[in-house]
Amino acid sequence: MSLLELHNINKTFGPLKALNDLSFQVGHSEVVGLLGDNGAGKSTTVNMISGIHQPSSGYISVDGQRQTFANRRDSAEAGIETIYQNTALVDCLSISRNIFLGRELTDRFGFLNLKKMREIAMQVLESAVHISGIDSPDKLVGDLSGGQKQAVAIARAVFFKRRVLLLDEPTSALSVRETEALLNQVLKLKAEGVSSVLVTHNLYHAYQVCDRFVIMSHGTKVFDVAKADTTIEELTQHVVLT
Amino acid sequence: MTDMTHDRAVAPRRSAGEWLHSLLSMPAGAILLVFLVVQLGCIVAGLLFPDDFRYLSSANMGIMMRSVPVLGCLALGAGVLMIAGEFDLSIGSVYTLTAVIMAMLVGAGVDAFLAAPVGLLVGAVIGLGNGFLTLRFHLPSFIVTLGGLLFWRGAVLLINGAVQVRFDPNPVFNALFSGTIFGINAAFIWFIGLCLVFWALLHRHRLGNHIFATGGNRAAATAIGVNTGRIKMIAFAIAGFMAAFAGILATTRVGSVQPGQGAGLELQAIAACVIGGLSLRGGRGSILGVFLGVMLIFTITDVLLLMRAPGFYLDMFIATLIVAASIFNHGLDRRGAES
Repeated sequence: MSLLELHNINKTFGPLKALNDLSFQVGHSEVVGLLGDNGAGKSTTVNMISGIHQPSSGYISVDGQRQTFANRRDSAEAGIETIYQNTALVDCLSISRNIFLGRELTDRFGFLNLKKMREIAMQVLESAVHISGIDSPDKLVGDLSGGQKQAVAIARAVFFKRRVLLLDEPTSALSVRETEALLNQVLKLKAEGVSSVLVTHNLYHAYQVCDRFVIMSHGTKVFDVAKADTTIEELTQHVVLT
Repeated sequence: MTDMTHDRAVAPRRSAGEWLHSLLSMPAGAILLVFLVVQLGCIVAGLLFPDDFRYLSSANMGIMMRSVPVLGCLALGAGVLMIAGEFDLSIGSVYTLTAVIMAMLVGAGVDAFLAAPVGLLVGAVIGLGNGFLTLRFHLPSFIVTLGGLLFWRGAVLLINGAVQVRFDPNPVFNALFSGTIFGINAAFIWFIGLCLVFWALLHRHRLGNHIFATGGNRAAATAIGVNTGRIKMIAFAIAGFMAAFAGILATTRVGSVQPGQGAGLELQAIAACVIGGLSLRGGRGSILGVFLGVMLIFTITDVLLLMRAPGFYLDMFIATLIVAASIFNHGLDRRGAES
């Protein structure tokens, strides 16, 4: 049984048909590349899985259970974390406060357990996410680079035991080194049982880490293939020509 | 050997430099430094010229302690709201309105311990109203509360006319809000206590974390699951509540309410916040900064009065301070945005 599955999803915005009978699945410990040119419907798909948009028809299932995601919190509860290019972090707060934002560790009066939050943040940053330059959980997120910010967002997902990461164009704002680190992170998480959906139009980055590719065009799936059965040339053909 | 002595000579200077750097990069570090320097200067001058510069005289200290809390309470509320990313220009009018309501209730025979909570409630409800209009219609809070400033100023004249209202509460109430304990003014103790409460709420409580997140990056906070609309409503209510509390302190001290007494206080409160390092765009600031901003405004006012400087110097000094503080803070903001 697949971890996350989209069943015949249609989405219309007024007269515009954004998604047309889209179905695909993400298995356990699998990295799926969701590819396609601009306007293919990738972002709509991401927003649908994370609960920001709701399908006009069709449905999403997690572990075979049919789900309705009314908002992002619902999808997070089902174990899905979306990491956007402009990651959802607050620049003026420290790393540890960002990791626990909305899920703070508090006593019963709501006062923060800052010591424990720091300790866990440091632990997560050291063990789960290896990005150089983050030496203290008290650093303000605004002082971090793009790659470090995504590392913090991933650390948050890891700590809260997400099972699927949706990475929306994660490498577009990163340096070469940061991109390498991020892609390695995706592989490391896969080894620990966390699946990822890498949404990108950089085929080379996708080819490096993905086990399977789903290519979209005009709101529907045009190609779905395992890495072993394809080449980067064939993928390029499908993205460009469909 | 020469290297070692060289190191020893350099190390303390560098650590002093680092200390200064870490102080300046603290949210309220620069203002703390300015405040300490000003205080030190005043104390030295007071000791050197005890007759000409009566800064340390008990009368002067008493005046300071009585004047700080009113603006201080207004600034605490305005500051929390600013950190949440909104403004309230109506707090000066709300401060007068709630004081008038409270004084009229007491005049009609209601116990002050009942009338004061009514005033606080009215303040909080008006704050919620500002928040509702701002959020429901996606308006800038600057506009909504500018409307509030004029509306409630007019409302004071409507319910009371342009005459002063006497406030004559029971002695216990008087002692509680304007008495003196161990030589310290009760209103000042209230202010210090509220600073501690606000510090705990803003810097050590979940609510504060959400307020900073809402003001710092509303989209991100919403995406993470913070109910930013609710947080802003709470901040608006706090601003209104604190305006009403300032009204209680001022009214008890003076024993009457003047219908025009709140005019301009909202701008002074925002000025104190800006001097204290709060960002006009929200998300940045600290309670220590607000406290120091208020204290600095009054210290400078006090110094100018003691030196018998004409009143217009006061405005010019405060104005310079505001602009200088903004330039400094803007530099910090930009540095944060660039890196």
